[in-house]
Amino acid sequence: MAAALCACGSDAHVAPSTDTTTVSNEPLTSAACPGVNFGKRPAPLTVTPGKAPSMQVLGAGSETARYTAEVAARGTTAYTTTWQVRSAAGNKIDVWDVSGATPTLVDSVIVANAITLGDVAVSDDGKLLVVATERSGGSIVVFDLADPRHPRQLSRFTNQETDPGVHTAEIGRVNGKLYAFLSIDPSGSAHAKLVIVDLSDPANPQQVYSKVAGNPYVHDTFLRDGLLFVALWDDGVDIWDVGGCGTGATPSAPRVLGNVHTVGGQVHNIWWYHDAAGGKRFAFVGQEGTGAIGSSSIGDIHVVDISDLTAPKEVASFNVDGAGTHNFSVDEANGVLYAAYYNGGVRAIDVRGDLKSCPPGQTNFSGQGGITRCDLRLMGREIGIGLIDQNRGAYVWGVQYTSGAVYASDMVNGIWKLKPAK
Amino acid sequence: MSAQSWSAGAQAIPLVTPADPTATRSILTEGYLTQPMVMAHAGWRSLHGIVTLDFEGLTQMRGELTTGAYGEGYVDRRHPHAYVHELLAGVEDSLEKTHLSLYAGRGFAPFGSDDPMVRPFVKYPVNHHLAQILERVLVVGAARVGPVIGEFGVFNGDEPLSPGSPPKYSRFGDSWSSRLTLLPARYVEIAGSVARVKSPEVPDGHGLDQNKSDVYTRYDRRTADSRLYGLLEWAHTKEHANGVISTSLTSWMGEAAACKRDIMAGLRIEGADRPEEERLADPFRTPRPPSDLSNLGVSHWTSLTLAVSAPRLLLKSFSARPFVEAARIYARPGDPPGLFDANLRYGSSSMWMYSIGVRLKVGTIHDRMGRYGAAVVPESGTQTHSNASHQMAGMTMPGSGHSSNAACTL
Repeated sequence: MAAALCACGSDAHVAPSTDTTTVSNEPLTSAACPGVNFGKRPAPLTVTPGKAPSMQVLGAGSETARYTAEVAARGTTAYTTTWQVRSAAGNKIDVWDVSGATPTLVDSVIVANAITLGDVAVSDDGKLLVVATERSGGSIVVFDLADPRHPRQLSRFTNQETDPGVHTAEIGRVNGKLYAFLSIDPSGSAHAKLVIVDLSDPANPQQVYSKVAGNPYVHDTFLRDGLLFVALWDDGVDIWDVGGCGTGATPSAPRVLGNVHTVGGQVHNIWWYHDAAGGKRFAFVGQEGTGAIGSSSIGDIHVVDISDLTAPKEVASFNVDGAGTHNFSVDEANGVLYAAYYNGGVRAIDVRGDLKSCPPGQTNFSGQGGITRCDLRLMGREIGIGLIDQNRGAYVWGVQYTSGAVYASDMVNGIWKLKPAK
Repeated sequence: MSAQSWSAGAQAIPLVTPADPTATRSILTEGYLTQPMVMAHAGWRSLHGIVTLDFEGLTQMRGELTTGAYGEGYVDRRHPHAYVHELLAGVEDSLEKTHLSLYAGRGFAPFGSDDPMVRPFVKYPVNHHLAQILERVLVVGAARVGPVIGEFGVFNGDEPLSPGSPPKYSRFGDSWSSRLTLLPARYVEIAGSVARVKSPEVPDGHGLDQNKSDVYTRYDRRTADSRLYGLLEWAHTKEHANGVISTSLTSWMGEAAACKRDIMAGLRIEGADRPEEERLADPFRTPRPPSDLSNLGVSHWTSLTLAVSAPRLLLKSFSARPFVEAARIYARPGDPPGLFDANLRYGSSSMWMYSIGVRLKVGTIHDRMGRYGAAVVPESGTQTHSNASHQMAGMTMPGSGHSSNAACTL
């Protein structure tokens, strides 16, 4: 059985270990994937709609020489990457002590021959840090975290397949073995692709799989329970068995189980949600629309029912007027999705209960998709808004919930530590 | 084939450009052989052929220092054009008072103004990608009735990826443009264009689409030893995806030139928006295609360019015209500003750029570029079109669209 884990570079990085088999009076499995039990359908949950309160800011760590990109936190240490060129190039990893209210910079690492470090992830055992480099010859750089405050480079993996850049590098374990899932940018007439790298010997990463994927982009992946969710932009979301279904698929020989085209396409990122009761029916899909970085963004969160892996379908959505979503992190014990929302700050959304059940007045209709969906905003599910009240022009790339705090990476200002919405 | 008419010519411009500062936040001075081209036309009865080969891919792959310029993976450098700049075959005929043409091949979509290559400044304006749609595989039809010219063309939306890259033939027909031109008086033309261009920057599609519009008025009066030229142009491009406008880019430009006894002076004023994109390790390059549908905001460029050129040195059909240009350029955040900060990017929000070079020409080259067949505007504006786009080499005919060694040609 594949071990469950997500240490997802752009989707919150160290997921809580809420995987459980203690679910379900109504276990649900599918013939396509007998190895996965989706648990019983959660009961509908009624919430009284109201104005979402501001999330309390505990402290901020400043980075103004570079644009901050992604955040990954574990224990009392957080890592943020940098992007493009401000007064200096985005070739630096900032290491923050987050044991107190205010993140304090304790070290930094310069990655050679890099202009953008778009993604960062910590392995489930806390031993490795993996950073993606983009647009200067793509690569992943693997660091030893024996001293978490002072990462030491172990290896750098690059080949023709990683050119021109690794947009994201998610890491996760399948059948006990650690892998990296690399989303590669398109270049010229060369298509985007997904590359899978075996990290079981982190000093000597080995590519085990490569496939052209995405239309025109593949921006992210999410691994859990041996299923790999692949964000294929206008081709929607693919669900691959890479070892979780018990039917022989592996990371070097994946099997496509199903696909869903969410409304509007532009699929950027995914989180397969395991609720506190063991329900695993819903995946959250981030849409990255158009935008002007630093000023504006567009893109919704789409909720997909994946209980039939061969025919997943969109059942709900969440929209913020004037802003678009980016990466997610979920406090699964409390059922709260934290979404980075660029100029919309951080949004906390209550995702407990059956997200496909709602009264008629709490739905929206998408002419583009031709479907009626539950509308999480109309359902009163937004329970916290962070950072838009700080008057510092926050533009939030990534967010991570861990150890009772929410960390947000802000391209303009650096890193923020916030109190969870509940 | 026995040609009823033909013309051929070549040009190249040895050029030195100091830019202070540029994207390196420092002064750069570079030299190139820019705009090296071979052009030819041939006609036989109603059949016509046009070819323009551009060899910038051999002489300036790094791009030409042009502060404010952008497009096709270059920024603050003008990109090299495709080797096959134009290659078209067409038929032209007249039906009573209507002159008709249909051309197919690779070339300019019927949109906007002339290619800057045939205008009196060596440096391109910032609005090049707002005001021209070029190097597409297209079919374009044109009709002229008296002082009115209408054109419609369909083409592939994808821009060239490099000078030698082939167009995405499978995308032929996914984009269109149309231009209406009025010739209200001698030497005067007024044109308005619209275009719908699918995903120009992502060759496989699914990138931002563009709704484009352009209006210009042009004046061009030539005599045996003088020329007075003016162009006023407004161009606008909306980039959008899923029906949502992403970026709105506008430019205003006015340029004028006067020539007497083969001494030419020109002035250009421009205000143009530019979408800011990620940059590669080379600060003059941007990813092709971009990483996603976002940009880094919009910048606004205001520039004033002065050009002076000396009389040509002539030797039979060969000519050499020395020139200098000086440009004062100002950059500021546009709407939305995004992350753009000129001081961070360049170290200053005001810049200088100079150009010193010599236009070398032999034979007959295009006076105008971007119109075919019935859409070619006669020099006198209202004169009846006379199959004029194809003249004998070495001759300059009114309305020819070609030039040789007459005074005040470039």
